[in-house]
Amino acid sequence: MTDATAKSRPGVVRFIGVDFDFGALKAASPRYWTWVGVLGAFMAVGAVAWLVYMTHGGAVMAMRDGTPWGLWFTNYMYYVGLAAGGLVVYASVHLFGAEQFRPLSRLAVLLAGVLVMLALLGIVTDMERPWRAVWMLLTPNPTSPFVYTGSAANIYMIICFVDLWVLITGKGGHKLALTMTLIALPAAIYLHTTTAFVLSMNKSRELWHSAMMVPIFLTSATASGVSLLLIVAYIVQSLTKMKFKPSMFRSLSTLLATVMIIDLFMLVVEILSIFWPTSAEPGHTIRMMEFFTGTYTWFFVPVLVLGGTAFALLSRRKTRHLPAVQITAASLYVFAVFLKRYSLEGMGFVRDPLGQYIGLYVPSAVEIFLALGILAFGMLLVTLALKVLPIEVPEDDGHGEPVIDYDAEFNAAARAELEPEVAS
Amino acid sequence: MSHENGRVSASEETAEFKATISRRQFLQRVGIVAGLVVVGAIPAVLTSPETLPSADGAESGAPTLASKINPLQHIIDQDQPVNYPGKPVWYADPAGNQKWAMVIDVKACVGCRKCVYACVKENNIGRNSGFTYIKVLEMEPGSVDLETSNANYTEGGSPDKWYLPVQCMHCAKPTCVYGCPVKATWKEPDGIVLIDYNKCIACRNCIVTCPYAARHFNWVDPEVPKAEINPKVPLQQKSGVVEKCTFCVQRTRNGMTTACTEACPVGARKFGDLNDPNSDVSVLIRTRRAFRLKEDLGSGPMIWYVG
Ligand code: SF4
Ligand code: SF4
Repeated sequence: MTDATAKSRPGVVRFIGVDFDFGALKAASPRYWTWVGVLGAFMAVGAVAWLVYMTHGGAVMAMRDGTPWGLWFTNYMYYVGLAAGGLVVYASVHLFGAEQFRPLSRLAVLLAGVLVMLALLGIVTDMERPWRAVWMLLTPNPTSPFVYTGSAANIYMIICFVDLWVLITGKGGHKLALTMTLIALPAAIYLHTTTAFVLSMNKSRELWHSAMMVPIFLTSATASGVSLLLIVAYIVQSLTKMKFKPSMFRSLSTLLATVMIIDLFMLVVEILSIFWPTSAEPGHTIRMMEFFTGTYTWFFVPVLVLGGTAFALLSRRKTRHLPAVQITAASLYVFAVFLKRYSLEGMGFVRDPLGQYIGLYVPSAVEIFLALGILAFGMLLVTLALKVLPIEVPEDDGHGEPVIDYDAEFNAAARAELEPEVAS
Repeated sequence: MSHENGRVSASEETAEFKATISRRQFLQRVGIVAGLVVVGAIPAVLTSPETLPSADGAESGAPTLASKINPLQHIIDQDQPVNYPGKPVWYADPAGNQKWAMVIDVKACVGCRKCVYACVKENNIGRNSGFTYIKVLEMEPGSVDLETSNANYTEGGSPDKWYLPVQCMHCAKPTCVYGCPVKATWKEPDGIVLIDYNKCIACRNCIVTCPYAARHFNWVDPEVPKAEINPKVPLQQKSGVVEKCTFCVQRTRNGMTTACTEACPVGARKFGDLNDPNSDVSVLIRTRRAFRLKEDLGSGPMIWYVG
């Protein structure tokens, strides 16, 4: 939408080289505004919840000494992980020439930036005295994983929004886009690694204290992030003018199936080492049992069941290209990874370091409304951006790359082979 | 372990030392179990046989040091300040040149929780806060198994249980201090781990990193009846931040012992200075078979248990 005709349209404001199309908001359908209203209502409830917390203090939360972190931390891990999807897509385009993902690149980067912002908002709203956060800049402690994940999240969020700007304006051409990828990719790995460190660098919490936590975080992040992107792409496609090619969804699904199975594999290996007779330590086993036969059973066993189902759905080559199958599998996995984060947090807290049984943590109403308010805020940002910003990638996206029609290639090579099988 | 067992010959010491090493390797596999360590004898055996503590001295109850080197020096050396900002925390006097430590006799402890109540009063712990600095664990006989222990028993003195009081260990390698993102908690030169309540950002990472569940968050504003407020200890400032045992810094830096030590009716607690080889704690650690909780984690707790 950077062409000359856009500028002549009313309501378009050009700022830092980007056309903000506020006119599109005026022309938006009542359905759009209803949706914005719903989000606004959730945000209002969230704001009230936050005020209640600020005036009444931590007592309104379900967190206690046994579970010092609650839903905000589950969401921190979850949102940071979901943001990985954007990067995978973005990096695939600019680093590995996966042209089929290019139409998704702006949406992917936008989602990543917003998700990390939500993760950070969770931290800020958990602080009773947010202004004390200034000590993170004045006297950061280099031995605290918290310093690294916090700074990484901030840096990554900025990178995402700069990336989005580069993609929209096309400034710097292909070269700058590549440079940005080379910055963003290590930054993302750094973010996920240090988030995992917050758990794994604790000898006080047996089930967290495993170097395996880092690769599991990376694969869970990628699997859930790409799943979310796939779902959002389908939603955006059905609600807006933006259209994506089936080949893109096919590639995403193939990628997903691969990452899912690696993710599940590592989880199973970790569980095995907790129960294997020559490796089992009582402190680990007794805690892990809570996740198979104890209080967290309904949170953890579904992780394995839903995750396995999602992989099974996508692993079948014959049905993998069906949108319904893709959406089901991706939704299952996005949900499974949330349960996984929830269980993961519980693994550290189900018993305290003195072995005392703490049990299931269930967030209080204030925590839930606060989290929903933050989520609604993120959805609102994306909703508005989809109208106002040129998120749709034009045929020539300004980076001077020819657009390859992967569908045509696929048609020629594969459809002839697959279609009869599907039909039969 | 009785006092007579402290009398051992040089060869027995060496044998015990070797046995300890293999036992420690074994215990690392077992997990949350502390090893029996002949702490005092190890460096003596390693350096020269002549520096072994005199067995006679241990028996007479007035230990004399055969060497000028404090046998506990290796422990003192590890117990150095961490993230110390260079000046004492605002609510405490400057540290002296002691290295504070505590020894708890689990054979004597009857689980009466007198120490817990004394601590609550001394340290302005909110009566509505729902935590105490000290937790006494009722242990099953036969092992140091935390998972089967019970911190919420109603009455102590059960003949077929034993009692393990746990509080902040003022670790030589305090994971809480390493984990605090803003250096709001640190280890002072005399070994006491303290928190700046005016700086704590309430991230609660220290609660997560502490292997002894010694840290507590003020989820509510702490309330103490007016008449019972200890003016030497902060109260309002602790609202919405983390607090924990301070080794009664307001008392111990002024020549008194801790409130829990004073309150124990059976004298199970001893508090003192490791730099002084003749202090109660130094003598007990040197001559009795002492163990530390979760020794395998290497956090170097400054509270020893003797049995
Ligand atoms: S016991 Fe816990 S709070 Fe106390 S110094 Fe050690 S790690 Fe820190
Ligand atoms: S809760 Fe306070 S003392 Fe504990 S790690 Fe966070 S800032 Fe430091």
